[in-house]
Amino acid sequence: MEQILATTLRSAAPLVLVAMAGVFAFRAGIFHLGLEGLMIAGAFTTVAVGDTTGSVELGVLAAIGVCLLLSALYWWVIGPLGANVIIAGLGLTSIGLGGTAYALGAIFDVRGSLFTDVVLPRPVRDVTSGAGVIIAEHSIFVWITPLIVLAAWVVLRRSRFGLRLAAVGEYPFAARSAGVNPSMVRLQAILIAGALCALGGAELSVGALRNFTENMTNGRGFIAFVAVIFGAWHPIGAAFAGLFFGFADAIGIQSQINITERVPREFVLMIPFVLTIFAVWLGGLWRRRSLEAEAGYAELREPDF
Amino acid sequence: MTAPSGPAPAGAPAVRCRSLGVSFGAVRALHDVSLELAPGRIHALVGQNGAGKTTLAKVLGGLQVPDTGDFHIAGQEIPAGDVRAAKAAGLAMVHQHFSLPPSFTVAEALELTAARPGGRAVYRRGDLQQRWQDDVAEIGGTAALSTRIRDLPVEARQSLEIVRALATEARLLLLDEPTALLTPVAIDALFERLRRLRDSGVTILVVLHKLREVAAVADTVSVLRDGELVLGPAEMSEVSQGRLSDAIVGPAGHADSAVGVRTAAHESQETLLELAGTSSGESAFEPGLTAVDLRVEAGEIVGIAGVEGNGQRSLVSVIAGLTSVTEGTVRIGGDEVTAAAPARRRLRGLRLVPFDRNTEGVSQSAPLWLNQSALRLLGRHRGRSPLISLRQYKRQASEAMDLWRVRYDTATQPAESLSGGNVQRLILSRELADGVEVLVAAQPTRGLDFAATEFVRRSLRGLREAGAGVLLVSSDLDELFELSDRLLVIYGGRIVAEFDGPYDRRAVGDAMTGAVR
Repeated sequence: MEQILATTLRSAAPLVLVAMAGVFAFRAGIFHLGLEGLMIAGAFTTVAVGDTTGSVELGVLAAIGVCLLLSALYWWVIGPLGANVIIAGLGLTSIGLGGTAYALGAIFDVRGSLFTDVVLPRPVRDVTSGAGVIIAEHSIFVWITPLIVLAAWVVLRRSRFGLRLAAVGEYPFAARSAGVNPSMVRLQAILIAGALCALGGAELSVGALRNFTENMTNGRGFIAFVAVIFGAWHPIGAAFAGLFFGFADAIGIQSQINITERVPREFVLMIPFVLTIFAVWLGGLWRRRSLEAEAGYAELREPDF
Repeated sequence: MTAPSGPAPAGAPAVRCRSLGVSFGAVRALHDVSLELAPGRIHALVGQNGAGKTTLAKVLGGLQVPDTGDFHIAGQEIPAGDVRAAKAAGLAMVHQHFSLPPSFTVAEALELTAARPGGRAVYRRGDLQQRWQDDVAEIGGTAALSTRIRDLPVEARQSLEIVRALATEARLLLLDEPTALLTPVAIDALFERLRRLRDSGVTILVVLHKLREVAAVADTVSVLRDGELVLGPAEMSEVSQGRLSDAIVGPAGHADSAVGVRTAAHESQETLLELAGTSSGESAFEPGLTAVDLRVEAGEIVGIAGVEGNGQRSLVSVIAGLTSVTEGTVRIGGDEVTAAAPARRRLRGLRLVPFDRNTEGVSQSAPLWLNQSALRLLGRHRGRSPLISLRQYKRQASEAMDLWRVRYDTATQPAESLSGGNVQRLILSRELADGVEVLVAAQPTRGLDFAATEFVRRSLRGLREAGAGVLLVSSDLDELFELSDRLLVIYGGRIVAEFDGPYDRRAVGDAMTGAVR
């Protein structure tokens, strides 16, 4: 049981970080399907730069930089160039997945996995029994994730910036008549999302593990997006949804280790995906609100004043 | 009944624009408009739907970039399309359409849009409510602050738009059709407020539809027609009513006649709509119905008078099948439809002109032809192919819209691109296409210009001549008196009085305030 809870926290942290990215984008009216690509770009850059320089801090900073650049590119394509948000997001994901696999071969001449010795600091270590196992061996990013969720809540729900962001996403006309430039607010939201994806990717590669593997995100960016919908694009709601998916993941992982006799392993492995479908269905129940968000998305393609 | 004139103009004009021009594709919305408005006065801007009033207002507010020309506010040149610069020069704007995000609470919406100095970047909910509690006294006080915009009734939303504009230190207040959604009492209160603002030195430019309102509040009047400034700004005292309406309508102006409507065949004296002892649950802002008895016969217009918020919306909603009935029955064309779905009621001959044409009457983002064809998709053509021909639908929709003189470019443009009067024509062209038994018309002329109002009224009369029944819900007593064969008064969700013409304004007024029980 302790192992499951510990694994839950470890699996959930990257999901929750990327889900916060999704919440920022969603509230600005952007269906950000590029989360997966940004996440893997973050994971790769952390390992690549961290391993080369020997400094995990430099690795994380470089990951944030790369994700900010990619995010600015994404904004330029969907904003000034007027591309479809969904297609551009999927394109960003392809660039991330393909680009990191290519760079792995081209720069490090490695196929599959690149192992590293750099790793994020782990504040609590060397606990082997009892309830302490739950909080042991987690990277610093797992510890700061709740703080980031809280910060996201304050910014989105209790700040003027959050009001402007929500107005841009829901009703750009309201934002414009309040003297807000919707295009700039969207850029800010997309950049914040990019930085959070970099953190999520870094946690995945040098927090929970010590390597970068091709396609190691394995759909986590999309599951984080589902968590956004499941959590009704509220930071706290999305965080709990991420935690829930992390729990489902943990059950899957643990059952791989201790194969139960009564339930076939394949069924246990399905749990995360079944829960995801269930979440999508539940998200549909909030149809009314998502329609409002879609109205904001439709407006994206109109020229900005 | 001209209002007392304001202080003598002094210094720079409050607004000076030169040769403003705006085109949308082939449509010329504004052409070579040059205008100077003296400070400290109430200036009215009038014109028909589509004359360019809203476009001019948007240009001044920085929400529309003009193709040609420039403008100054209080002597400062405002860069085209710069909302902040216009605001900094003292301009505050009340839009025709709502400008507040539906999911925001009232306090959040005010914090977003009103930009009163002193707010903090990060706030607590209580702080926000405290900051705005004095401003919302008239729309429900502190309790309203945590209400979401989408849950406010239309009237309160409109009031809030004005509250929002006045919350800033405006030197120039621009109101685009502020009276369109207000009751007569609220209009008087608004005008009183505008006069007080003017006397404190604020310049006001107000877009109005009714000449009566122009005469009541304006110091000067300007007229736009087909995007051009054809009159003014002229002192109200120097312009006759006749000259004003000539300027608005233009030399080619002629009243267009109502369109013939095809109704379902039936004998006269048939009861087409009947509510018997009907009650419904209350909604957030309105009482439900309590034991309402109501009949609309073939060939009559029955008016529903009442102060807004007394159950009119519940009534329309119950008839349309959007609110369930807790007691009693609803019959359309003799068939009981108490529990029937809206679509079945439509098939039975119910037609509806809803309260809020932009959100309930059309799908704003859907193309015109789809909006126009919506009723035909209800399954009237049984036995035919389940496939539909887009080309045929588009052609039929275009024909119907031409017949009802909807002004549009192509049948594929979205409904939100139409002006208010044109949206109402579109709705009528759909609802009255054929098979009408009974039409429920909720505030059908609210916010429409003179010509469009006349058009709608003629259409309702035409419907009566053709033998259909009409239930007319309106807050405009003159309209009710002019059109209704019988008049019912609704108060607190009950029908409290019934009148036959000629109507006694005073007696009806007493019933509306609940003085008669």
